[in-house]
Amino acid sequence: MSKNGYLQIHDPLKPKGQAVGIDLGTTNSLVAAVVQDKPRCVPVDEGDSLLLPSVVHYAKDGGVVVGARARRLAPEHPDDTIASVKRFMGRSPDDAETRKLGHYRFVPGAKVVRFDVAGGTPVTPIEVSGEVLRALKRRAEAHFSTKVEQAVITVPAYFDDAQRQATKDAGRLAGLEVLRLLNEPTAAALAYGLDKGSQGTYAVYDLGGGTFDVSILKLEDGIFEVKSTGGDSALGGDDFDRVIAQHVLQTMGVTEPSPSLVAEVLAASRKAKEALTDAPEVQLTVGSHTQTVKRADFDAWIQPLVQKTGLVCRRALKDAGVTAAELDGVVLVGGATRVPAVRRYVAEVFGREPLGDIDPDQVVAMGAAVLANLLTTVDRQDDVLLLDVIPLSLGLETMGGITEKLIPRNSTIPMAAAQVFTTFKDGQTGLDVHVVQGERELVQDNRSLARFTLSGIPPLAAGMARVEVRFSVDADGILSVSAKEQSTGVSQSITVKPSHGLTDEEIEQMLLDSIDHAEEDIQARQVREQRVDAERVLAEAERQLREHGDLLQEGERPAIDAGMARVRELMKGEDHLKLKEAVHTLDEASRPFIERVMNQAITQVVAGHSVEEY
Amino acid sequence: MRTHFDVFGLPRAYDVDVPALEKQYRELSLLWHPDRVAQADARERLKALEGTTALNEAFKTLKDPVRRAFYLLKLHGIDLDREDAGAQKDMPLEFLEEVMELREALDGAMEKKDLARARSMATDVEARRKAALAEAAGTLRALEGGGGGADLVKKASHALGRVRYFTRFLEQVDAFEEESLS
Repeated sequence: MSKNGYLQIHDPLKPKGQAVGIDLGTTNSLVAAVVQDKPRCVPVDEGDSLLLPSVVHYAKDGGVVVGARARRLAPEHPDDTIASVKRFMGRSPDDAETRKLGHYRFVPGAKVVRFDVAGGTPVTPIEVSGEVLRALKRRAEAHFSTKVEQAVITVPAYFDDAQRQATKDAGRLAGLEVLRLLNEPTAAALAYGLDKGSQGTYAVYDLGGGTFDVSILKLEDGIFEVKSTGGDSALGGDDFDRVIAQHVLQTMGVTEPSPSLVAEVLAASRKAKEALTDAPEVQLTVGSHTQTVKRADFDAWIQPLVQKTGLVCRRALKDAGVTAAELDGVVLVGGATRVPAVRRYVAEVFGREPLGDIDPDQVVAMGAAVLANLLTTVDRQDDVLLLDVIPLSLGLETMGGITEKLIPRNSTIPMAAAQVFTTFKDGQTGLDVHVVQGERELVQDNRSLARFTLSGIPPLAAGMARVEVRFSVDADGILSVSAKEQSTGVSQSITVKPSHGLTDEEIEQMLLDSIDHAEEDIQARQVREQRVDAERVLAEAERQLREHGDLLQEGERPAIDAGMARVRELMKGEDHLKLKEAVHTLDEASRPFIERVMNQAITQVVAGHSVEEY
Repeated sequence: MRTHFDVFGLPRAYDVDVPALEKQYRELSLLWHPDRVAQADARERLKALEGTTALNEAFKTLKDPVRRAFYLLKLHGIDLDREDAGAQKDMPLEFLEEVMELREALDGAMEKKDLARARSMATDVEARRKAALAEAAGTLRALEGGGGGADLVKKASHALGRVRYFTRFLEQVDAFEEESLS
């Protein structure tokens, strides 16, 4: 049990356990919590790693593996191991981005993306993300030895409504109450600003595994006001890997690589990219193929991608009404900002050296933890407040397929806006409403969020019936739409959700299914706790045998050794009851010996020696 | 009806002290924002959400002189943002001629991918927009000061109709510029 665990259990202000912040990343995910006033990331994977690779493997027996282990299974089972699932969130199967990503087996004809994986049932991106979140939740619970039920989950600032809704649904599926969806650059600013006590106007440049965001924020007296945000929800370090992989496959002379080869080359490319941060050139090996990759070549390959971010930065500055020179600093976030060419480019665009003194991988989760802590504090005494914005304009389709914007991008949320529509035919009783998100003038170039027909309008002469359509965006950046017929006072209120997610019924069913697994979750925690216990007992037994082996009596050693072997064996398994029993047996077998050790110690103290000598 | 001015306890007027408004906005946000009452009961939280939504709407409208002008006109019964926008058809003939002329010139420049021409048109239109806004501001000041009625409303409506058109024109040039550069 961790030291923090005790404190958390007895904190009467936290009846719901430990509130956490989660950075649900394209490549890696992290979980952090505020402990003793400081945000800290929690170990969540092999070797106490703070980064959980966002990779989920579905095994034939229906089992699910998440993290580094899943990533190692990818080359052998490319179809059953889903990586970078964040790039599929809230996207439809016929989305260009979806097709670009896929070596996976998709279920054909489905309205939402479904991966056909081993284990029987096809899974949606929401479920895959749900598995990553569930793994983070469980591992955080094991770390704190307390429940984790409330979380702030971060999303790219540039995520649209469908992507946000999908992320929130994934949180629900994992059994988490999503306290807030927090924009990643804002999370970073929160961690940064509070840590450094910064004031002024800052740009946060966040290049993650699969998404790019830039936000311009004004920090003043604890208020973090986002002035503007921009980004590209399909651009990140993953794309750098792909660029390297393309060149490698070309060098290898392979034109139609198998999915496993692609997975292998991508893994090697990622390693090469990371190594090139410190080395001017690296050796890349795939099977029997070896080649040198020079940093200068890599820089040239990724240049077009990196330059795409510059345009976005300039527009964000313009939207915020500031120039680069007026900024007080530029903060780097996201693993891909480790690439030297990216750093150089950011320095060039903003005309200054960027700051990066908080680990760019951890800073987002830390900021989320800070907000989770604030949101679960009763009777707040601080004056910290985040004023965030929506990244993309929300509007309606009007005559001729033109987008009419109701809420412009960079509006502070929560926000609402209403528009009055009139009927254009005599006796018209229905009105088609098409909700879209994006900046383009033509509806077809924007993201379609929902379509519905308002019916039950009283039949009146053209132009007489007035229908007010109202958009409300909540603090998570999620939209709901309601409509009211004004002329007769008949109010018909409906709430619309985006069409690319799962329906509420589907989520409910999945939640029910996951309750079946809840038993397993408790079991998993007990196994984990029992293992920690067993480890402690083993270590103690080994120490006593090493230091006081002379006190063993005839025939004792084999029983203790057998007991230890049994404990070691069962520690590998999942049966915590058997493990507990074995620990007890070992305890019993070594008791006479341990008593002798203690007796001798006491005797020697009495005889004038100090315990320290032993 | 509760106006955006009421949200801040301000008298209805065209001129607003924006720095003071900003300060007040921050203070009210600290009091009303849903994040500040996340642990309160559901009713309290809904109240916070609605209060903050109204506050954000009011602040967005009042801090910007253009939005503020359109809003005041709306309070006088003319909503230029309405989709059917009957008021827009009401514009004087010479303005419609001006629109057609500008439209043709911009289409020509875009067809020839003549960014320099589009930019110089934008500079010219920006000046016209400023002049129209100044005229609208003057008229709205007179209106709020209690002088005149229907004539002034019509005058303000025509001026803002021009502002609205010029703004859209400039947005189109912006989009064209971004497209040409990328």
